[in-house]
Amino acid sequence: MTKKYIGKRIKRSEDPRLLTGEALFVDDVEIPGMLHAAFLRSDYAHAYLKSIDVSAAQAREGVVAVFTAETMGDDWQPGPPLVSPPPTVEDVIFHSRTQVPLVKDKVRHVGEPIAIVIAESRYIAEDAVDDIVVDLEPLDVVVDIEKAMQPDAPLVHDDLDSNLAAHIEQEKGDYAAIREEADLIIKRRIVIDRGAAVAMENRGIVAQWDAKSQRLTVWDTTQAPIAIRNGLAARLDLSEHQVRVIAPFIGGAFGPKMMMFYPEEMLIPWVSIKLDRPIKWIEDRYENFYATTQERGQVHEAEMALTLDGRILGVSDVFLHDSGAYDPYGLTLPLNTQCHMMGPYDIANYYSESKVVFTNKTIVTPVRGAGRPQGIFIVERLLDLAAKELGIDPVEIRKRNLIPPDAFPYEHKIIDQAFAPLIFDSGNYKPVLEKAADMIGYDRFVKDEQPRLRAEGRHVGIGIVPFIETTGVGPYEGARVTVEASGKINVATGVGTQGQGHFTSFAQIVADQLGVDVRDVHLVTGDTAEFHWGTGTFASRGSVVAANAINASAKLVREKILALASKVLEAPEDELELADGVIRVADVPRISISLGELAMLANPLRGAVEPGTEPGLEATAYFGPQYGAIAFGTHAMIVEVDPQTMMIEIKRYVAVEDCGTVINPLIVDGQIHGGVSLGIGNSYYEKLVFDENGQLLNASLMDYLIPTAAEVPRIEIGHEETRSPLNPLGSKGVGEAGAIPVPALFAQAMENALPEYDLEILEAPLSPNRLFELLREKEREL
Amino acid sequence: MKLEGEYIFDGPQEDVWELVRDPDVLATALPGTQSLDQVGENEYEGVMNVRIGPVAGVFSGRIVVSDEVPPETCTLTVEGKGKPGFINGTGYVNLIDQGDSTTLMKYDGEIQIGGRLASVGQRLFDTTSKSMIRQGLETLNKALQARIAVKTGGGEVEYKPPSESEFAVAVAKDMAGEALSSSRTTWIAVAVVIVIVIVALILINLGGG
Amino acid sequence: MRHLFDVGVTVNGNRYERTVEPRLLLSDFLRHDLGLTGTHVGCEHGVCGSCTILFDGQPVRSCLMFAVQANGHEILTVEGLGTPEDLHPLQEAFWEAHSVQCGFCTPGILMTLVPFLEENPNPNEDEIRAAISGNLCRCTGYQHIVDGVKLAAQKMSA
Repeated sequence: MTKKYIGKRIKRSEDPRLLTGEALFVDDVEIPGMLHAAFLRSDYAHAYLKSIDVSAAQAREGVVAVFTAETMGDDWQPGPPLVSPPPTVEDVIFHSRTQVPLVKDKVRHVGEPIAIVIAESRYIAEDAVDDIVVDLEPLDVVVDIEKAMQPDAPLVHDDLDSNLAAHIEQEKGDYAAIREEADLIIKRRIVIDRGAAVAMENRGIVAQWDAKSQRLTVWDTTQAPIAIRNGLAARLDLSEHQVRVIAPFIGGAFGPKMMMFYPEEMLIPWVSIKLDRPIKWIEDRYENFYATTQERGQVHEAEMALTLDGRILGVSDVFLHDSGAYDPYGLTLPLNTQCHMMGPYDIANYYSESKVVFTNKTIVTPVRGAGRPQGIFIVERLLDLAAKELGIDPVEIRKRNLIPPDAFPYEHKIIDQAFAPLIFDSGNYKPVLEKAADMIGYDRFVKDEQPRLRAEGRHVGIGIVPFIETTGVGPYEGARVTVEASGKINVATGVGTQGQGHFTSFAQIVADQLGVDVRDVHLVTGDTAEFHWGTGTFASRGSVVAANAINASAKLVREKILALASKVLEAPEDELELADGVIRVADVPRISISLGELAMLANPLRGAVEPGTEPGLEATAYFGPQYGAIAFGTHAMIVEVDPQTMMIEIKRYVAVEDCGTVINPLIVDGQIHGGVSLGIGNSYYEKLVFDENGQLLNASLMDYLIPTAAEVPRIEIGHEETRSPLNPLGSKGVGEAGAIPVPALFAQAMENALPEYDLEILEAPLSPNRLFELLREKEREL
Repeated sequence: MKLEGEYIFDGPQEDVWELVRDPDVLATALPGTQSLDQVGENEYEGVMNVRIGPVAGVFSGRIVVSDEVPPETCTLTVEGKGKPGFINGTGYVNLIDQGDSTTLMKYDGEIQIGGRLASVGQRLFDTTSKSMIRQGLETLNKALQARIAVKTGGGEVEYKPPSESEFAVAVAKDMAGEALSSSRTTWIAVAVVIVIVIVALILINLGGG
Repeated sequence: MRHLFDVGVTVNGNRYERTVEPRLLLSDFLRHDLGLTGTHVGCEHGVCGSCTILFDGQPVRSCLMFAVQANGHEILTVEGLGTPEDLHPLQEAFWEAHSVQCGFCTPGILMTLVPFLEENPNPNEDEIRAAISGNLCRCTGYQHIVDGVKLAAQKMSA
């Protein structure tokens, strides 16, 4: 195939509709006779449900129905777990406790739904929610993960002995032994707190049951429409073919829209069938802060053993991971943290123990980064402290420890989130680190600029953090590529899209395989009626798993085209060429046929066909990687801190990424920008603040501050390309990369900016307020 | 959350005690109170309109008075809930005769708030609640003057409880004042004005939607 | 008994007459009563800027207004700016600069920028960032949006 499109900055085919307000989002779905849902949610974090009286709500004009756990009868069942615990590791403890559609006996976090009201309008439904009288008996609340593990802590799940949800240990080499040989041990307690994904579009579901055709159609803001379809069919006792799930344009997802099944996701379709009416529920921002999943809360006791020349001998870490009130997402997050705690470094001895803890807070599932930023934060913080202790330059100590290019594939002998062995498939780490150092002018800054600025009394610091990202995990994705009689290409895949530009990047792959204009490739995604095999858009896997499935099916279609054209044009296949939508005999270009004509010949209306032939120029193929592809990068930043106001200014930000083959650099750049922006929020602005009663104190965008255009600097991007040997395209994922190193980078740069305070930043996120406290503490010490 | 403070009433301890144990007077002291009825010897139930920042709504609640040592101390247990969330709290009130016909009231308590009140209103809760208490106590003090005047036959002193809007204006002034007094730079003043405007807009919004 | 009010409003040059409850938000009115779903609602408390429209030429947040307040006024929504076949120069520039990812915040940002570019035909980076600092975007990190605005300014002054 000729690479006319892959690797090019092609503008996105989906944009004109998005730019003109014509793209369909879930809340844009209007169906005649549609009713609207609103939820009564708990104001308490932990309470027994004593009684509930919905009579006044039911009597309100315009209210059609009110359901509670009790009135759901036998249809009330806890949600199925999304990810099961790993079967391959010994001695894993895992207590599966999944969310319920409506609270039956006990509330376990603020915002848990207790009743659903269905009315003629959302306004009436919300009025009626206020009419419900509910009697909750408050219980002591579990908020802090360390306190949750104390023997006298209240229990989130009464049937368990403690709040321990899961326990997993992983080991490589022999850390205990190597510790004895170390010249230096760095040991610290490091805390990472919670944030929210804050997609600009809240969640939403529209369900339409058609009793006549016995079919259910659901529009859902999900990252995984196929899994939702299969789960709904199972739960509602329907055939999978009676259920169609459409994930139309989604207004950003960042992980929480991968969670399933949210209580609302099961209830809205259930009610639609029950009442035989279309039902719409759109989450409001306030609900989003309580009812949509969140991430990051961990407390680590971490240590690193080193030699005097800065070689890492081993890392050991014991951490608590906050799961919130339930644990539907299995061990994905703690496993990701475990897999990133060695970063890009050659570390022979590793011990990690993770305890997952139930608390009376919103459920935790992946948010862009997904356990990885925590792992990178730990290893980078320990390494920074070691560098200070040993008097080695931070860039130098990193260079000494990077996995060398000839060590790939590099086996870590632990398992990853997909329960596959953690193997770093390929990489060349040093050039990426050097490029970042070069782009930001590391040596010049440290030698000349910083001393000069310091002499002027300014607090300007530099940070540089290399990282890895496990991407492109299995199990598989699939796609169907069809040449239509018009000569245009239709591609169907199941992953669903939330702004990543799949319509364009996937079309580029097909256009190159089939020699057509990229604008003639039309992609449908996220509609189970179009394609119904696959898992979803998560774990930075679209450009690896789905893209390679598309590439594989396009390749099969190319083979069909050549085979048929060879017959029609009476020329051997190897003498044919595909370009501009036409198949030509290379040496005799006037002998040709257009793709459209060939497609019609492949689907004749009359005549005999040879046995075993398939009609059409169409193929379906699947791709499942053996294990994930490891992307890599280094970010660097120069930041100025004002120690009076604690305001910061990021003066330079450099991101060098190696995500293997780049399909569309424009889109990759956009992914990095967005990831860094979220990372900046995670580092200095965003933190969900819960009080001791499990009440979230900043549940609005007035108080929970996501970065604006004023906080995010211009990001200078550099690319290196180490193709992954695990897939034909050689691609690795990039969706989460931008967010991963940022908290570690902030910590390093802030410490560097404020040398006179001798700060040790052992927490993320910081905030102006928190930095103020840290500096005051230091001033008191000094 | 902790609430504590003190206030000097211009009247003798006995009169102040009588006053604070009279539900009719208490109901007028906090505008927005739609009703406050005695339902048991030491138990009251009431309905009150509350506005804390962007959060507004009707609370229904119960107050239990216990550990009473007239005319000195009592403990108040409050449970309130409504659309904006809930408030649970215990407060300890102490009246101290100052010997000069004035009475020092000391109060302290723990309150727990939840729902929208906590998650959207918390940053304004502290100042608003302090201000509401101060406004309420001043109103009570005026009521006390009116009573004393009647008792001593010194003619009537006019007592008119403030309207809900007068009360709201006073609370807003207090909040702006507090923010200004603790600020070092003028931008906070600007921010406060912006917040008040946003809050006003949101009040309309939340009330409607 | 619900009180209803008549509202007459001009949106994108078309006249609409509807009878609505006084509490109906302008954003809901535009989206659900008039079917103009290009205006998006991201927070319902006036912070995110997704629902920004032009109200008598000024950018306002339609989630902070009631439909009845629009009576007799003129509104421009993203649907009135351009069509996929005939994009506004700002939309063109956003397309070229990859200023759009999920596209949810985009209509609000466009409507914020239309009057901004009229008043500042040649803005610098800081001015652009200040202009869009009241619009939240979670996908782009804003850089390509800033680039799109610069490109639009060039296109529009050419």
